[in-house]
Amino acid sequence: MVVLSPQVVFTLFSLQITDTVVSTWVMMLLIIILAIIIKRFKPDLGEMIVEFINSIVRSVMAEDKDVTNYLPILGTLGIFLLVANNFGIFPRMVSPTANINTTIALSIIVFFTVHVYGIKEKGLWGYIKDFANPIFILPLEIVSQFSRTLSLAVRLFGNILSTDLIVAIVFALVPFIAPLPLAALGMLTGVLQAYIFLVLASLYIASAVEIQEIEQERRELKNIIKESS
Amino acid sequence: MWQLDSETLITIITIIGATIGIVIGCIVPAIMEGIAVQKALDGITRQPDAANDLRTTLLISMALLESTAIYVLLVILVLLFANPILDRFF
Repeated sequence: MVVLSPQVVFTLFSLQITDTVVSTWVMMLLIIILAIIIKRFKPDLGEMIVEFINSIVRSVMAEDKDVTNYLPILGTLGIFLLVANNFGIFPRMVSPTANINTTIALSIIVFFTVHVYGIKEKGLWGYIKDFANPIFILPLEIVSQFSRTLSLAVRLFGNILSTDLIVAIVFALVPFIAPLPLAALGMLTGVLQAYIFLVLASLYIASAVEIQEIEQERRELKNIIKESS
Repeated sequence: MWQLDSETLITIITIIGATIGIVIGCIVPAIMEGIAVQKALDGITRQPDAANDLRTTLLISMALLESTAIYVLLVILVLLFANPILDRFF
């Protein structure tokens, strides 16, 4: 099956370079050139993009809190996915996210980012203590950490692959106008999945970082109740 | 009665199983997504001010619901195009 297993384009020092990797290189080049152009000629557009990503992240994490710390990695993920999900519409290119290796790499990045931010915010011992707040919740927490990493990867991969596959099948049946609406639907799905990935990543970071504040609020509330009674 | 060799038999069984699986795996998430959209629309008509919050939550939960159907599709694709039994024994 062509779609499920990537094709080898050429071999470099006995390393097999697949079309996914070549597409990712082209995509990186495109993004870098676009970024340089925006920085040189249209700085206000760049500011608008940053503000947009900032508003998305802030709407998920906290309305009143400063989220600038988490913006670089989340914005990078968002822009990368936005381009990567829709890259299959260019001729002779494939979407890098239609290969499960790319999406698993991205979700592992998110996994480590969540824990690094959590440890940085609360300290190592505090972060581990939050995992086992009532002690019997510890195995559930550990399983959920791994299962959500897996589901993050498989969701993105499955969505992008399925829309690509549908377009390919319809293209094989009717090569003219018929695949166009499906390709448009695929682009909609790609944009939506990039948004979902961004929102879920910021949700996970928020849940790793902000438990302490909720705990503090709960403690203060308990104290208030104690004092009043 | 024709004699089927075991490779053909396994392929036929796989195709039948994949069809049943994708049918069930499409119907259940579709019904659940319909329920989610219905509740969200109820909420929006009752409180139009909360439309933005509801839309964000609805999109996220729709994607989460959708992913179950996508898991089914992935399993079916593996069954059809990279069948472990056919690859290993034939």
